[in-house]
Amino acid sequence: MEITGAELIKAAALLGAGLCMGIGAIGPAVGEGYAAGRALEGIARQPELAGLLTRTMLLGQAVSETTGIYSLVIALLLIFAV
Amino acid sequence: MFDKALKAFEIPTIDGVREVNQVSFKLGDFNITLNLTTLIMTWITMAILILLAYLGTRRLERFPSRGQSFVELIIDAFDRLIADTMGPVGRRYFSLITTLFFFILISNWLSIIPILKNPTADLNTTLGLGIMVFIIAQGSGVISKGVGGYLKGFFEPLFIAPFAFFINIAGEVGKTLSHSFRLFGNIFGGGLIMLIIFAIPELLQTAWCRLFGEFIGRSLYWGFLWPFCKILATVILNAFFCIFVGSLQAFVFTILAMAYITIARD
Repeated sequence: MEITGAELIKAAALLGAGLCMGIGAIGPAVGEGYAAGRALEGIARQPELAGLLTRTMLLGQAVSETTGIYSLVIALLLIFAV
Repeated sequence: MFDKALKAFEIPTIDGVREVNQVSFKLGDFNITLNLTTLIMTWITMAILILLAYLGTRRLERFPSRGQSFVELIIDAFDRLIADTMGPVGRRYFSLITTLFFFILISNWLSIIPILKNPTADLNTTLGLGIMVFIIAQGSGVISKGVGGYLKGFFEPLFIAPFAFFINIAGEVGKTLSHSFRLFGNIFGGGLIMLIIFAIPELLQTAWCRLFGEFIGRSLYWGFLWPFCKILATVILNAFFCIFVGSLQAFVFTILAMAYITIARD
């Protein structure tokens, strides 16, 4: 069975999508974990600010998640558009 | 046309992810293509919003009823949030920001009902919203700083003015792109993860039928996979990806819209 060029491109795109999602998830994971840890420290020090800290933490996490979302979009492009 | 409109209400499956339910027509020289599913779902979202607004604000009284006080609570919370984030000028943008939030919120929650889909799971919707926020931010920048001050803002810091111009332009474009891609990616990715997880029980059933024989495979599916994986997973995944992530992303989108408008103003 011969492997044609189109199949090779498809395989490379799927491999690239997997790599893109896997490597791209490292950054947001570390960043969000760091933000959550720091917010926890803040809440432990000042429990009365828990609501504000949680809200700000979620906002910052959602923003730092953007890089992960970029890799998701690239992975989707590689799967569906190639 | 009518059967295409009906097709928008089909329950999504993992095989149908690639298909786009679109209609195209010619308008003069332009070939216009519309995503019919998104269009219908956006109209449903708007209908729900108008209905809720009507139900919440009819029979306004000085001593509010239960429904009216709930609406007043929400509006008051938003008023305070906008005053905290944007300062005294924020009142002017109150209706824009609140409408944006509730439109995105209802859009993100829409896919709890199985036959409906999120309008925000389509890049056209989110990019439209992002560009709308971009134009409003730039417009209010022109209004508050004047044309000269607005244009001068693009060349700052002034000692590397020609270089800074391109960086500022790229920054504005990137802000809008990340603003809309964040919402799109979260909602579409969540929907995709749900579709993939919902497809697992059927795959396992076929695999187990082949491994252990038809009877054991089927009884394992109906006795174990169907109640635990399908029903429970539907509830839990919808609670997380629709309600939690949906509310969070709607909130983030509005907060960032406020921040962008505030930054553009001063």
